[in-house]
Amino acid sequence: MASLDAAFHALADPTRRAVVSRLVRGPAPVKELAAPFAMGLPAFLKHLRVLETDGLIRSEKVGRVRTCWVNSDRLAAAEGWLSQQRALWQASADRLADYVELQMPRSMDDGG
Amino acid sequence: MAAEDHELTISRYINAPPARVWTAWSTAEHLEKWWIPAPIECKVITLDLRPGGGFETLMREGGGAFQPHVNGCFLEVIPEARLAFTTVMSAGWKPIEPWLALTAIMSFEAVGKGTQYSARVLHKTESDSRKHEEMGFQEGWGTAINQLAQLVEGPV
Repeated sequence: MASLDAAFHALADPTRRAVVSRLVRGPAPVKELAAPFAMGLPAFLKHLRVLETDGLIRSEKVGRVRTCWVNSDRLAAAEGWLSQQRALWQASADRLADYVELQMPRSMDDGG
Repeated sequence: MAAEDHELTISRYINAPPARVWTAWSTAEHLEKWWIPAPIECKVITLDLRPGGGFETLMREGGGAFQPHVNGCFLEVIPEARLAFTTVMSAGWKPIEPWLALTAIMSFEAVGKGTQYSARVLHKTESDSRKHEEMGFQEGWGTAINQLAQLVEGPV
């Protein structure tokens, strides 16, 4: 269960989930991973450290470039039945937040 | 996290007051926009917000026919505070055999200028979950990894 707890913790944050989603499509250098996020590099590196400590990603530095890739074994472990459900519900909450914060018309403030 | 093998809780801070978040959940035209990950389309058939009221949504992928998604029954409706539904019953508390038995309890808590939105979801025992897994209940949803990928791609 320890590995699952770690995976849950690692994936409990939208930035970290986004990083893992990106890495599922293939390895990427840190610079490229950080590009979509409006946060400083130190804050972003902290997220990467959590992912690496919890074993969801691995990284290696060659020269001045650190490349990350997804740890398939750990991700597969995190793919248990309950974690799939969790991912669905967390994703749903994230979509609700995005919709309310970014898309929902302002005039609809009064409850239905 | 010492969660039991059949219960999960997720939480998310939303930068809008509970009234707005509640409206997004309780109005069909809004619910359809976020309830299912894009590009899958969602259609709300029934959203009868009272205990015993029906909750039915359909999904459609790639312009095909709409397929069953959620068919349930609301258990508790407290505007801007709490919303609970179950899939083991349909409208009017009618018992049904769902493809996935669950009870979901959503709470909307005012925190500062925003809302702490939480969902606690109860399932049957693990053996039952395994049975569902063997039956391939994830069909049409893909794996957690695909879901994760959709998180960043989200609704446009």
